[in-house]
Amino acid sequence: MTNNVKISIRQFTILMMFYTIGTTILVIPSTLAADAKQNAWIAAIVGWLLGLLIVYLYFSIGKLYPQMTLIGFLEHTLGKWFGKLVSLIFITFSFLGASTVLFYLANFMTTQVMPETPIGAFIILFAALVFMGVRLGLEVLSRSAEILFPWFLILFVVSSILLIPEIEIQKMKPIMEIGIKPTIKAALAYIGTASLPLVLILLIFPSALNQKKGAGKAFMIGTLLGGICIILITFLSISILGADFSSRNMYPSYALAKQINIGNFIQRVEILMAGMWFMTIFFKASFYAYGVVAGITQLFGCKDYRPFVFPCGMIIAAYSLVVYPNVAYMMDFDSTVYIPYVITIGLLLPLLLLVIGSIRKKMSSR
Amino acid sequence: MVRLLSVLVSVFLLLSLLSGCWSRRELDELGIAVGIGVDKAANGYRVTTQVVSPGEIAAARPSGNRTPVTVYETTGSTIFEAIRKITTKSSREIYLAHLRVLVIGEALAKEGIHKALDHFSRDHEVRTDYFVIVAKGATASDVLKVLTPIEKIPANYLYLALDSSQKLWAPTATITLDELITDITSEGKNPALSAVRVIGKQISQTQKNVESIEPPGFLKYSGLAVFRKDKLIGWLNEKESKGYSYITNNVESTVGAIACPGGGKIAVEVIKSKTKIKGKVRNGKPNIDIVVKMEENVGEVECEIDMTKRETISELEYAAKLRVEKIIKNTIKKVQSDLKVDIFGFGEAIHRADPAAWKTLKQNWDEQFAQLDFNVNASVKIRRIGTVANSFHKEGVE
Repeated sequence: MTNNVKISIRQFTILMMFYTIGTTILVIPSTLAADAKQNAWIAAIVGWLLGLLIVYLYFSIGKLYPQMTLIGFLEHTLGKWFGKLVSLIFITFSFLGASTVLFYLANFMTTQVMPETPIGAFIILFAALVFMGVRLGLEVLSRSAEILFPWFLILFVVSSILLIPEIEIQKMKPIMEIGIKPTIKAALAYIGTASLPLVLILLIFPSALNQKKGAGKAFMIGTLLGGICIILITFLSISILGADFSSRNMYPSYALAKQINIGNFIQRVEILMAGMWFMTIFFKASFYAYGVVAGITQLFGCKDYRPFVFPCGMIIAAYSLVVYPNVAYMMDFDSTVYIPYVITIGLLLPLLLLVIGSIRKKMSSR
Repeated sequence: MVRLLSVLVSVFLLLSLLSGCWSRRELDELGIAVGIGVDKAANGYRVTTQVVSPGEIAAARPSGNRTPVTVYETTGSTIFEAIRKITTKSSREIYLAHLRVLVIGEALAKEGIHKALDHFSRDHEVRTDYFVIVAKGATASDVLKVLTPIEKIPANYLYLALDSSQKLWAPTATITLDELITDITSEGKNPALSAVRVIGKQISQTQKNVESIEPPGFLKYSGLAVFRKDKLIGWLNEKESKGYSYITNNVESTVGAIACPGGGKIAVEVIKSKTKIKGKVRNGKPNIDIVVKMEENVGEVECEIDMTKRETISELEYAAKLRVEKIIKNTIKKVQSDLKVDIFGFGEAIHRADPAAWKTLKQNWDEQFAQLDFNVNASVKIRRIGTVANSFHKEGVE
């Protein structure tokens, strides 16, 4: 299936950018501000740089067997049965990811925008869109990313410019007061949501790209661009709302957009900000969903993944209704359980794979 | 067959959209709340909500014998309950997104306001762009029941009067909820809110009030209410409030009088003002430098002085500088000796300047603040003297 799908380098870069921004932009300023206070933007930069290392790790894995996808690679390096077992771990990860991302979006909508609409309505609508995208395939997803990119850019740039008059640099000071430990903790939260889930990109990277040259660079640039957006939003959120208010707010970037007021004329435009996330969250959710569907297909050695889309979609949509029983559970899970979980899947496991994979490759070439 | 079926299915799906939005609320079903007042009640809160009566505001020819707003007063053990209880009195659901002012009653402010504020920061409908003010010598409910001239909606009057007095006269503070919460939680700054008084309480609540050319009952901003964390502890008068605005860099424009060298007065208009607060810690003692840079115009000359001379202008600049420095010094001294609470954000300035020293200083910051040394340095430039050079006084008197 991925063998006949080809996406261009530029599309891949944009996809990576959207994937990095994903849900991160919605929630991470608050998490960062809770730990690193007024240094949240520094923590975001630290996370951004650490994220580069992680991308490099994935890139190196991808380079080992450029023709294989993650599942094939696992079977090749770890043996058929053990490989399949480890693939299951990745599939559960994307399954959880897809459900939680859907929940994030729906929860945001019911909390902030349309509180009287049942959460299921948002989940079903959004899941339908996501799985339609997945069914149509990677090429369609990539092209839609390419089409949405300028809109995202316009919204992002306009809302950032409109916020400039509200900036109070005093709120950033004192710079560097917060110690290393909270900064690292915050940076970990950053890479936990923005960088480590990128491990699923190995499902298409680099096998689905139409040219392998420059693929690594595109990967890097995409995540870098995404990171810049997040750093900017964190910066604005700290310098406008202040560290305290940012950390107290569930969705600081939405609260941020509420501050826009140019001459009592351009105001109440926060839903534009939400429109931006719909785009980024759509691509993040699509990737997770694709991870589930493609993972299952390859795990069982099926040829076509399309028959799996509908049933998987229904299960994921249903599961996202119950994945977090309440919002406090979500916050607790995200700050305690999720970080070690994602580090295991996104960092330790790939590191292990890289070591085993390179040893195997050396042995076979000898 | 399949084609026909799919057409039918899509037609039915589209039909379901015709019923409209899910949680739509038509404009004529909403009671748009423009002002909310919170007072203490026997157990819980008394919430006063000022709701626009659209028939009187929007109609081309209002009936004239109905008030443009209606006030609902409800009590509840929590704010949220009290607001919802309005439905037992009102035909319309209260909509909070157009709130202009939140008035806090004096009695509640003295007890502490943080519990009362949570709902307003948590509810999704309430925005953060309204002003929070304190009723001085009155309940919030008194404040919201005054009918005001010119502005049909009294809450709009409260909002606009505060906004323009802050911009043109300076001794008020336009604090929104998020700023208030930041100040309450800050270790190095305490909140100060504008205080509003009700004059002629009895008459002000009836339509009669706006029927006379000089309404006997009205609302008036008078100085600031000073809080320690979330509890009201005292008031600043107009002059001190102006000093507060100077220190916190909130003066856009104001007018002040300076004495002429030979007796009489000159009024100057501040057209630009910028204040910087720098903190430093010397031998463990906090120290604050306040630097004010201002530009002024001469607006009124009531004495015999030669305005065409360069020396005159520099004399006036010096007098204006002393005036501002005195206002600021008096304000700080008053707050240091009487209220003993840091409303100026000096603690935050020290924090920014010396994070390490702040860690020990913040433990008894209120005491440190009361004995803190400060320097005020203002520099004033007088730019223009209006449309005439010398006044006609000399000739007029003779």
